[in-house]
Amino acid sequence: MISNLDNNLPSIEQTADLLSDIACELMSSGAHTMRILQNASRMAENFGYHLDLTVFQLSVIITITDKDDPTRRLTLNKKTKPLLINFTFVSDLSALSWDTYDKHLGYEEVKQRFHEIIAQKRTSRWVILMLVSFANASFCGLFKGDFIAMELVFLATLAGFFVRQEMLLRHVNVLVTYTTSAFIAGIIAGMGYVFHWGNTPEIALASCVLYHTPGVPLINSVLDIIEGHVLTGIARLVNASSLIACTALGLFTALILLGLDKL
Amino acid sequence: MITLELIKLMIIDGVMAAITAIGFAISSNPSRKAILISALLAAFGHGFRFVLMQYGLEISMSTFIVASCIGLLSILFARIIHCPAEVFSFPSLLPMIPGLFAYRTVMSLIKFMQNTNAVKNQGFIIDFFHNGMTTLFVLLALVIGVSLPILLFPKTSFSVTRRY
Repeated sequence: MISNLDNNLPSIEQTADLLSDIACELMSSGAHTMRILQNASRMAENFGYHLDLTVFQLSVIITITDKDDPTRRLTLNKKTKPLLINFTFVSDLSALSWDTYDKHLGYEEVKQRFHEIIAQKRTSRWVILMLVSFANASFCGLFKGDFIAMELVFLATLAGFFVRQEMLLRHVNVLVTYTTSAFIAGIIAGMGYVFHWGNTPEIALASCVLYHTPGVPLINSVLDIIEGHVLTGIARLVNASSLIACTALGLFTALILLGLDKL
Repeated sequence: MITLELIKLMIIDGVMAAITAIGFAISSNPSRKAILISALLAAFGHGFRFVLMQYGLEISMSTFIVASCIGLLSILFARIIHCPAEVFSFPSLLPMIPGLFAYRTVMSLIKFMQNTNAVKNQGFIIDFFHNGMTTLFVLLALVIGVSLPILLFPKTSFSVTRRY
């Protein structure tokens, strides 16, 4: 069955290392638990091992067992990197796992292709900054905000998102980052109220922090809970909710500081 | 009735939803094709929900219908471009996030906290529950609606990246 592996079988340690690396990479790029499990088991199958996997928010635990000799087994616990959503990795690693399974790729080739995939560069942060600002401005338009409100939201997002990028680059705590960024965006969007610009200052305020919506963790958490990985799902849900709470905290600190809560 | 005015509003709605989806899709770093598809799905989704609500359907119900449609379509597109369905289903749902309701919920909570006038406070409580429930149900409708197709067709949604 596994023809081209006979001459070049990877050791159990090598396989475990590679598979746990792949699982960690999938976890930190925002795949849901079922996908991680299926991708990793598919690859283990190809190398002639059986795999059991537990995923937590901060670590991945795998146990691989030799199919021919069940006494040969290895358990590995690996720390994951902080969450940085990257769907290119998710889809490429998914494709790699199917390729491994269908074409019976050897260990060296899988390892090489894995490193090629994770060496890919992300989109430039400046492009992301501009596009997110435009996106949030048109979000304001979707809520029937007028042109002045949209401009305010554009500026607020530009400032808030820039601060978030800078703080995340400097490894400031994520919750502190979200609060600060929402605070800055709130102060800028609140100027519409303070100086009576435009007719819909409320909508500018409401949509200026929507770029913080942690949509991927939320959807992943629901998928995890429904598919039975309740613990991981709840961990993701708590993470996403605390990000939302921090965003609200930052925005309303700004509102109270500007005295807008009395309106 | 479908009038010219309605169609114009629908198109503006769709274009703005597409811009929103592109912006939020790109921060999760998908491939170029996936970004285009999420823009397309977002425009379709938000425009469709706009029409449903024009015909008097309630917001959370119409969101649920649209979210399940997006879920189904994203599995279809996932098969075509060999890319997991979650990649574009999330950004295309984003324009429907009930941000305004969420904002009003917290705002009425703060006003309730700061006011001592019992008669005024009753109004704030009603505001709080009305907006809070709308936010909650729209969010649930979005997430459950989009994950429904993934659960109904697990084989398909896990094998979309297979090429052989």
